[in-house]
Amino acid sequence: VITTLLICHALLAVTLIGALTHQTLGVWWPRKSAQSSFFASFRGVRAGLYANAIVVLFLLTASLGGILYPSYRLGPRVMLENLRLAKANGVFELKEHFVAIGLGLLPAYWYFWKRAPDGRHQETRRVLTLLLAGIAWWGFIVGHILNNIRGFGL
Amino acid sequence: VIRALPVFSTIFAVLYVLAMYFNLALFTYFPRTGGFGPLAASPTTESGVAMYWYGWLLTASLGSAAVAGISLLVPESRSARLWAGWSWLVPAVMVIVLVYLLRGWFLG
Repeated sequence: VITTLLICHALLAVTLIGALTHQTLGVWWPRKSAQSSFFASFRGVRAGLYANAIVVLFLLTASLGGILYPSYRLGPRVMLENLRLAKANGVFELKEHFVAIGLGLLPAYWYFWKRAPDGRHQETRRVLTLLLAGIAWWGFIVGHILNNIRGFGL
Repeated sequence: VIRALPVFSTIFAVLYVLAMYFNLALFTYFPRTGGFGPLAASPTTESGVAMYWYGWLLTASLGSAAVAGISLLVPESRSARLWAGWSWLVPAVMVIVLVYLLRGWFLG
């Protein structure tokens, strides 16, 4: 069951960082009309359409992470402590707290994308999106490193 | 009610860091036994390790919901003049504070 949940957690996280990366690049580095390359197309999305999906995906990913967390606490965390891998423990501690801050950011993120008057608060939208993207990427990378930490030869 | 959402996010970040730093969890979860304890309960040999993260989330959620609710007493014409950037600046600063508070994992 734990393995299945872990795979679902990872798949949701991939979808989340995909959506957040599209949106972040779309608002920070918008495509110019003449550009038609792959990278320009990646950025040329209607960023506002991603907001609801991102809120739902963030909630689902964090909720699954919260369900899996006790297993981590009783298994891998103890192993990391026994191996004295303090930095590995530290990056997960940061992940846990960053995700909490991210959960708290969701109401403001949703408000400024969906309810704030158009034309105003563009800067706020951009920075909130960047913050959420940073949190999602941090969580994704840390999760994968810890999941495969034995492969790093530590 | 919707206009209070940015207030919730701003206050949540601060309350979460305070809850974490001072261990102000509203409940504790013991993963080995699957049991719960009130507030920040200490782990025992019987209960095994204690998890406070869920309790910190609840503390910060209820606290920021209360502050967001109170903020609705401020007339909309006045609250609209507040700088919207507080809703990202405060959480961003709290992220830096968290890195500072957890620096012990990475030093030494």
